[in-house]
Amino acid sequence: MDAVEIRNVTKTFGETTAVDDLTLSVPEGAVYGFIGPNGSGKTTTMRMIVNIFYPDRGTIRVFDQQLQGTRSEQIGYLPEERGLYRKMEVRSLLEFYGELRGGRSVNGEVDGWLKKFDLLHCADRKLETLSKGMSQKVQFIAAVVPAPKLLILDEPFSGLDPVSADVLRDSILELRRHGATVILSTHDMHVAENMCDRIFMIFRGKKVLDGTLESIQNQYGNDTIRVSANGDAAALDGLPGVEKVRDLGQVQELRMSNGCDPQQVLRALVTRTRVTSFSVTRPSLHDIFVRIAGPAAEEVAVA
Amino acid sequence: MRRILRIARRDYLAVVRTKAFIIGLVLFPLLFGGGGIASSFLLRGKAENTDRRIAVLDHTGAAGPAVVAALRQRNHDESTGKNAGLQVTPQYEFDTVPADGAHPEQQRLELSDQVRRGSLHAFIEIPAEALHPHSSPPPSVGYYTANGADQALRWVAEGVNTGLRRAGLAELGIPEDRARDIAGTAPVENMALIVRDPQTGAVTQPRKRSPVEIVVPIVMVVLLFMIVMISVAPVLSAVADDKQQRVFEMLLGTATPVDLMGGKVLAAVGVSLTSSVFYIIGGLLALEAMAAFGLAPLNLIPWFFVYLVAEVTMLCAMGTAIGATCGSPQDAQHLAMPLLLPVVIPMFLFGPIVQQPNGPMATAVSLFPLFTPLTMMLRQSLPGGVPAWQPWAGLAGVLIVTPLLTWAAARIFRIAILFQGQRPNAAELVRWAVRG
Repeated sequence: MDAVEIRNVTKTFGETTAVDDLTLSVPEGAVYGFIGPNGSGKTTTMRMIVNIFYPDRGTIRVFDQQLQGTRSEQIGYLPEERGLYRKMEVRSLLEFYGELRGGRSVNGEVDGWLKKFDLLHCADRKLETLSKGMSQKVQFIAAVVPAPKLLILDEPFSGLDPVSADVLRDSILELRRHGATVILSTHDMHVAENMCDRIFMIFRGKKVLDGTLESIQNQYGNDTIRVSANGDAAALDGLPGVEKVRDLGQVQELRMSNGCDPQQVLRALVTRTRVTSFSVTRPSLHDIFVRIAGPAAEEVAVA
Repeated sequence: MRRILRIARRDYLAVVRTKAFIIGLVLFPLLFGGGGIASSFLLRGKAENTDRRIAVLDHTGAAGPAVVAALRQRNHDESTGKNAGLQVTPQYEFDTVPADGAHPEQQRLELSDQVRRGSLHAFIEIPAEALHPHSSPPPSVGYYTANGADQALRWVAEGVNTGLRRAGLAELGIPEDRARDIAGTAPVENMALIVRDPQTGAVTQPRKRSPVEIVVPIVMVVLLFMIVMISVAPVLSAVADDKQQRVFEMLLGTATPVDLMGGKVLAAVGVSLTSSVFYIIGGLLALEAMAAFGLAPLNLIPWFFVYLVAEVTMLCAMGTAIGATCGSPQDAQHLAMPLLLPVVIPMFLFGPIVQQPNGPMATAVSLFPLFTPLTMMLRQSLPGGVPAWQPWAGLAGVLIVTPLLTWAAARIFRIAILFQGQRPNAAELVRWAVRG
């Protein structure tokens, strides 16, 4: 059964179409990555799944149920815009959110999560006294207590240090191992590549990618060369059959034009510089993202 | 409903557990009513009671001594009579000044200078025609003072006129003791209407109204006004603050906008009931301590709570909707006054309603649902009350309008809560309320 089934959904705000005739199925137990430039419709789609926004057209079913003006106890939601009651103590706040969603006492679970995130010592402190990173962890706990069947996370890793991000990632994957379906949006393509079973990209309200990483990459074929060579990237300018060079510092990524022979590129390269590594590969998700979103997304993608 | 109650519990405890609420609960009535009592107590027998001199400039040549005698008596009654011989207002000395018929302007200027220098508090000028007024209206007596709000003005007129009447009677040769009878004034008491006991058939005895009997119901109206104000105004800024802090989207993941708004309104009703119970029990205990428990308007207390719940529900629902349209608590503060107009306007109409509690204006205003709680409460609390059907008719209007307003407010709230950017105008709010 699909955890989420979106059928021909359109949502407009005044003259702007935020989501345009979207159809998407999120299988139960999957980690589904939502990617796309800012303002492309990711958050609107998530808000419609949670039922904060209602679609203008189309239907959304969660665990085969259509939510009409109600909230499902099975959905945990972490919005991109972080905000909690600053004057409340951490434990009271988490119990409040847990009871609000689950309708039962969640004291034991709250303590378990606080321990996991090394926040037990802050349990009686007010939110306003915590650092930004600690507040984000508290907000994540608020979204997952009691354990939801569907977890929707909008930019869960933004602003977290690597250690906290690791703890968060482990927790998400652990929830998945216990049967939860996870939808997460991210601007970090490595997160999408490494964590997600399936990836969905939305651009200007329309679905432009949907599938496993492999199936998405297969659409583009082996059109990318990864090269390490002496000297700077200027040595790669004007290579025959190369459409674009992306300088990653120690490595350069070359995109070949249709019909280009990699051997021909290699021959041209060795005449210019000393090549230390050369591999023909499929494009990275980052590259695919940039190819689709173009200049509008460059800023986000590079960041 | 479970979520509404859980949100209400959080919001209610977030308010009543604060020191500000507890201190405000005690301080608010002190600031409203206790301030006056405290200042009278503090000023008792102090600076205000220093003796003052008033000159009586008599152009009649005959009335001066009688006027001065009457003024002294009146001042004595005023300053001590109501307080068992204890002086609570200034003691005035009166001196007759013979009129300078040749230079009246110069004489007025000299007396005015004395007032300015402080050697005189004021002077009273009695015109020559005052004893035998042939014009209509009669010539007026002048009271010259530096302070336009001089408290002595309240009783000087009665003293002067008593003196003039006695001087006139003396001219007619009427003996002084008879003149006192004729020129004296009898106090008029505020009496309750006579009623027949429906069970025994006995007719009640004439009964003087106690000032407490009038004050206590009016205190209930002021209490209703005060509690609505302190319950509703914070909701507006609290909602705007929650929106600014981005609290709502997280909550909207688990509760609907109607749950959120319902919880907030219910919490505000709970806060208002807590304050009311505190004040009403306190008031009843105070009356009991004063051995005046019988004056407590017990029949009005249920109406008080009904009106309170209706008013707080209506205004808080609108307050949450309006607060959700604001980008910050500062924005919300600008909208507090328009939101509170349904309780502020009735307070402006307080005077006319008290004068004619069953007049057409008072009746119409009290049947307008937004104004019903305060105006009907006021009319019901006044002696004589209102026709029995009117509170029920008013309540029916309130019960129709409150759910409608709450429904419209919920529709606005649902859209406004995640709305960012420029604040919507009134037309947009109406469109959101109608179309959702």
